[in-house]
Amino acid sequence: MAALTEKTSGKITVRRVKLQGNVERYSWLFMRLSGVAMLVLAVGHMVIQHVLNSSANLTIQFVAVQWSTWGWKTFDILLLWMAIPHGTRGLYTVLADHIHNPGAIKLIRSLLLLFILATVIWATIAIAMFDSAMVP
Amino acid sequence: MQAKLRIRRFNPEDGNKPWWGEYTLDNIHRTDTVLDLLHRVKWEQDGTLALRRSCGHGVCGSDAMCINGANALACKTLVNRLGGKDDVVEIQIEPLPGLRVEKDLIVDMDPFFDHYKSVMPYFVNDEPVPADGRERLQSPEDRARFDDTTKCILCAACTSSCPSFWADDRYVGPSAIVQAHRFIFDSRDDAFEERLAIMAEEFGVWRCRTIFNCTNACPRDIKITAAIAEVKRAITSGKV
Repeated sequence: MAALTEKTSGKITVRRVKLQGNVERYSWLFMRLSGVAMLVLAVGHMVIQHVLNSSANLTIQFVAVQWSTWGWKTFDILLLWMAIPHGTRGLYTVLADHIHNPGAIKLIRSLLLLFILATVIWATIAIAMFDSAMVP
Repeated sequence: MQAKLRIRRFNPEDGNKPWWGEYTLDNIHRTDTVLDLLHRVKWEQDGTLALRRSCGHGVCGSDAMCINGANALACKTLVNRLGGKDDVVEIQIEPLPGLRVEKDLIVDMDPFFDHYKSVMPYFVNDEPVPADGRERLQSPEDRARFDDTTKCILCAACTSSCPSFWADDRYVGPSAIVQAHRFIFDSRDDAFEERLAIMAEEFGVWRCRTIFNCTNACPRDIKITAAIAEVKRAITSGKV
């Protein structure tokens, strides 16, 4: 009976497991976390640009005022880092469901990865180096 | 009451494409099952109709098929659940989608069972038996963690209702994940790490897009999507 009492203590046995990381697992996690982050970033961006301000006023001068502070630059860079990989990974997921040729899907994966890296790096540099004083 | 059945027929030996067979049955009861109606078609009208069934009471899982567009067990689907106006009920019956049709309502279950076998669906514990030589005990709370997933009868209604599986049958599928869940969350089983590694592979749990077709299709009301989510969480958190 001693063993029975011990095992009916009402506790759930929690065991640890250490798995090797893989791209699928980290991508899945990234999609969830970036999705939550974009609830704030993307919705916030929409509200600021199109609700609090009129879309008609979205000029280079408006952007210059926003990007004159590092706060807004950081906000937009974060949105960029979340949105481009999230959307591209989503596209890859759809394609991977239907393209079964290993060579073709590998090529598509490489091209999309290149697209993510190029866009994110290029746009990050563009936002970070943006000099509001240069705008007339 | 009358039933008008439209059954997807296919015979690989006659060289014809699949076709729809139409059958009318009189004097049926609202409490008849779809399996009862299929029996009457086979016994009274066309003996060539091929279908699988065994226990006829929702336990063996042999007679899963697509009834009026949704996967279900023919023996658990009553006529009165399928509607019907003016004392006539129209029922369309097809083989399970996503699996190769062998004949009429019989599909090739090999891909399904290959995935089932791939998740090590058996108890693994190499520890010596307890001192009293009897059972390995666990708390009711530990037992409750995998209670839902013990109910699976391997009918394939879930896996063959899954669009991810239709798109790519290398995906292990909801049923195999349910079977893996049953052992992963059993505190007495020691192979949880190996099973989680299988689940974490490219064609493991990540192919689940939480569409919930599997949960709707399950004749045992297993919360399949929730079970898959628990496996995903175990992999990402490293806690079982």
